Amino acid sequence: MNDVIAFIEHTAGTPRRVSLEGATKAKDLATKLGGKAHAVVVGGGASAAAEILKGYPVDKIHVLDDAALDGFLIDPAVDALESVARAAGPALILVPNTMTGRDVGSRLAARLDAGMNADATDILVNGTTVACVSPKLGGLTITTCAFKNSDYGIVAIRPNVFAAQAQAGAGEIVAIAPSGKTYAIVVEETINEAAAELGVEEASVVVSGGRGLGGPEPFKTILKDLADELGGAVGASRAAVDAGWIGHGHQVGQTGKTISPNLYIAVGISGAIQHKVGMRTASTIVAINKDGGVPIADFADLLVVGDAFAIVPELTRAVRSAKA
Amino acid sequence: MKIVVTVKLVPDTSADKRIDPATKRLVRGGVETVLNPFDEYAIEAALQLKEKLGEGTTVTIFTMAPETGKEIVRKALAMGADDAVMLSDPALVGSDIWGTSYAMAAALKKIGFDLIITGTQSTDSISGDVPGMLAEYLGVPGLTYLRKLDVEGGKIRGQRETDTGYQTVSAATPALVSVTKSINEPRYPSLKGIMGAKKKTIVVMPLAELGLTRSVGTDGAKTELTDLATPPVRGKGQVVNAADGTDGARIIVEFLKEKKLL
Repeated sequence: MNDVIAFIEHTAGTPRRVSLEGATKAKDLATKLGGKAHAVVVGGGASAAAEILKGYPVDKIHVLDDAALDGFLIDPAVDALESVARAAGPALILVPNTMTGRDVGSRLAARLDAGMNADATDILVNGTTVACVSPKLGGLTITTCAFKNSDYGIVAIRPNVFAAQAQAGAGEIVAIAPSGKTYAIVVEETINEAAAELGVEEASVVVSGGRGLGGPEPFKTILKDLADELGGAVGASRAAVDAGWIGHGHQVGQTGKTISPNLYIAVGISGAIQHKVGMRTASTIVAINKDGGVPIADFADLLVVGDAFAIVPELTRAVRSAKA
Repeated sequence: MKIVVTVKLVPDTSADKRIDPATKRLVRGGVETVLNPFDEYAIEAALQLKEKLGEGTTVTIFTMAPETGKEIVRKALAMGADDAVMLSDPALVGSDIWGTSYAMAAALKKIGFDLIITGTQSTDSISGDVPGMLAEYLGVPGLTYLRKLDVEGGKIRGQRETDTGYQTVSAATPALVSVTKSINEPRYPSLKGIMGAKKKTIVVMPLAELGLTRSVGTDGAKTELTDLATPPVRGKGQVVNAADGTDGARIIVEFLKEKKLL
């Protein structure tokens, strides 16, 4: 493996941050492997995304700008990546560890008979060998897995772990030839129910609520306000999601998302093992709970015992004035 | 319609598991093996389709697991599935995501299906990559992350979750879908179901029946475990009582400033 290819997930021409993290990492790895760094961007707005990618250190930006492709799920991106990968020869391919990234990466892995490393938090190069570090069993153990027996390796990178560094590279734009195929999975409509917001996987600060909040309202008010003030996202425990107080996409934990933000603020969350495994790799954990004897006391960096409904709004105000 | 639900057997999610520092393997003693919780939504989705479509629709449970997992597979049968197939072979031990998907796809081809329903991921490896690889190896459309699923006249239609809402997606059968936990509330097996499951067939399929041309297991794997580390244990931090809201906010702000997070 010499070349490194980053799949760029984007919304109408705006790359997801994790894709810029992937593009930056691709160049770093390509330098170590003695190859080139490529970015592949497909769909409506791909050319606009390519312009943004020129500000990142990739050598080649492969573009297939065709809004009609947005009418099909996953397959157009897999075809485009496959064509770039086959032309590049043995290569490492980075996809975001997001729903779309995993779909694209896994399908490509089958196409290329490639090894697959999921949810990587580090990628190591030793000579010509590439290995990926991933937490498994909910962060209980950290595995390092090297690629072997394969010309291609696919890595799904965990958002928010690798740095995205704006630094212009060669940024040569290359057009990808359309496959001309009709695809099997039709996207009939796309509905946005909520304003586009940073997901818990990508946010560097996550403010989560649990059973202790007693209902859906605090998630939309006091937690949201604090998260907004910190430039973060709102998360939730399973209890809150199962009670229907907030959507499943916000769930952190064993049957939700596993995240590594810089700061995790747990409000009214006891910190049962199912929750702990989803957030214990956060850099700093702050908890607010009315009970000092909850399990989270054993692994939070700071547990403030008190009334969350009184503390959280005050905290939002205090953060605002601290920043001013 | 023949529906096949793929399931995985995983260590109990609610148990606080630990790694033996000497062997670097999961300490299995005292940790029960259970059905991957995500797969219960797939089973429930299949059973609801069967109830809706009626006569002629069957639900088969498929898993790649050692034969010792039979009793756990029976739980899926107790929920209402018709029969089960287990791909069990010592040669599969050590299979990576690639090997697992490659072998599973061959077995699913042999079993035959109109629709495969999977969960989105397992609670132990959490890769979420097997559904996509299966779809590709089987050469069928893969409709993933569905929170709503409908089948009508050889066509699958569903709502695929996105970060900001959903997409309505459709494809013709045969197809593979993965379903999220938003799709339903899995049922508990009834006493009648549990009794009935004892008489249901669990076929054990050895690897040789698949006629694979490439080796799986540790030798054929395309990734190799080279190191296993235990993350540093998070120590107990400070526990501070807040006199009131302002005091609590002050304590947190001071702490965040100290950590240079503010």
